[in-house]
Amino acid sequence: MTCDDVRPRLTAYLDGELEGDRGTVVRGHLRTCAACRQVATDEATLRDGMRALPTVDPPAAMWASIQAQLAIAEVEESKRPSWRRALSRWTPMLPRFAVGGLAAAAAVTVLWWRSHREPVQISQVVDHPSPEIQASRDIPTATPSSPPFGAPSFDDVTADLAAEPARTTATYAETATELVTLAAEVRPGWTDEQRATFDARVAELRAAVDRATDERPRQRAWRAMIRYLQQAIVRDDVALASGGVH
Amino acid sequence: MSRGTSRALIIATVASSLLVALAPHADADAVAVPAKLVERARLEIQPAGHAFKQITIENPLGDVRVEGYDGTAIQIETRKQAPNEEALDRLRVSLVPNTDGTVRIKTTADGGRELRPLARGAVRIDLIVRAPRAARIEAVSSSGTLEVINMDGGGDLDSGSGRITVRNVAGQLSTHSVSGPTSLAQVFGSVDAQTLSSDLDLDSIGGQRLVATANHGKIEGRRLRSRDIELTTMDGKIVIEAEASIRGKLVVSSMRGDIDVRLRRNGVLVVRGRGTKVNLGATSRSRSDGWVETQLGHLAAGVTPALVEMRSRHGNVQFAIIE
Repeated sequence: MTCDDVRPRLTAYLDGELEGDRGTVVRGHLRTCAACRQVATDEATLRDGMRALPTVDPPAAMWASIQAQLAIAEVEESKRPSWRRALSRWTPMLPRFAVGGLAAAAAVTVLWWRSHREPVQISQVVDHPSPEIQASRDIPTATPSSPPFGAPSFDDVTADLAAEPARTTATYAETATELVTLAAEVRPGWTDEQRATFDARVAELRAAVDRATDERPRQRAWRAMIRYLQQAIVRDDVALASGGVH
Repeated sequence: MSRGTSRALIIATVASSLLVALAPHADADAVAVPAKLVERARLEIQPAGHAFKQITIENPLGDVRVEGYDGTAIQIETRKQAPNEEALDRLRVSLVPNTDGTVRIKTTADGGRELRPLARGAVRIDLIVRAPRAARIEAVSSSGTLEVINMDGGGDLDSGSGRITVRNVAGQLSTHSVSGPTSLAQVFGSVDAQTLSSDLDLDSIGGQRLVATANHGKIEGRRLRSRDIELTTMDGKIVIEAEASIRGKLVVSSMRGDIDVRLRRNGVLVVRGRGTKVNLGATSRSRSDGWVETQLGHLAAGVTPALVEMRSRHGNVQFAIIE
């Protein structure tokens, strides 16, 4: 299998969607081809960084604006004679009704979005030898689901505190991704041996990130990777000498 | 279970119960201000069996200040602030003293379905910890300041956007910050400082090794005396005044920042620079590999000189000797 055959399959491979022989063939190619391995590493780093980004709330102004539009439509509606209101019910194409309908649809969309983006609250024991400290922790779910009734939202301090370590990790991952991009810019100036050293070391550091089971160790692993990438970019002759700076 | 261990456990249990149970009801100290309640509490933990060797503090809700002193107990002052009683009751300071000499202090805000949502910015907990000097400090903060002074056991400090300040600390020290500025002064021991998007200020650092990196931020240093020094930035300039150790190494590197090094010399010194513009003084010469080099002092046989290496891919390099 050539690089041209492997590259289009890398995304599916990283998603774990290549089963059986097809996955084995791609994995085998990556073991021997530094260029494809680098592409795979870059893509994995980028995807992890993006996956770790925090979810975004719709701005408060958006909801206020929708409410204001609804209020205007309602006031207008209340001023109209009853016969016109009755007529309006049967003529949905009337422009004023259309404005109200659009606003209502937008409101429903926002409500649906808000209700479906909340992560499920899962209470679990923090990794700590003492049973005295417990904290709730948000586990973001891949599929949309409604929160349990009364569960605190991200606007609440408890949920915000629980989500913070993951946000910090995302910032480290984002920085590492930036540095990988910078490294790609200076990479053409490296020798084959330096490139191989870099790839091997980055893969090693990346594996340490993947092995981490909690946010703090994961942040430590990202920090180590960031420092190595900085060294490789700025002090390549030293960092990329045999074995690199550990 | 030995008698000493039992005693330690009893003290630990009583101490933690005191802090967790009594602090929320410390009405005598509570001060009502418009739209805000403030509650203060104090606690002292005596060592059980042996001295406290490590204190771990996690406070994502406010400032942390750790002050070393000559005593053996740990004294903790908490200051909670919230908009109302219900919110104040949600703020917790947990304390877990272990029999092995480690203590863990952690702040949290209770959650629950029946509670009204509470904005994070509406509450805070500030901690002042007076600790035996020899204890090692491991502390994590978020947007609050993290300050450690007068300690001898080193530490590991981790901040999000809050400032890290360290003064008069000995031992092995590591600091990490995402976007809070870091300021280290009078530190004697190996130092490892790392920031992503903030500046690093170093003053009077001595010891075996100083490694500092700022991804987007500048590094400024004065009176740097560590034997081996490595300073790296991607974007920010590096301006330092240092003292070259005999046979030591000073490596200053940046991707885009300018580098300005002023050095007090002890013994023979080899200085190398590479950058857009390099100024190492009158005696420097350009090498074929792109480096500019100069040697200060007479290099006798068998003598290893101190090395200064400065490089900036897209910035200027300036070097001068302080007489």
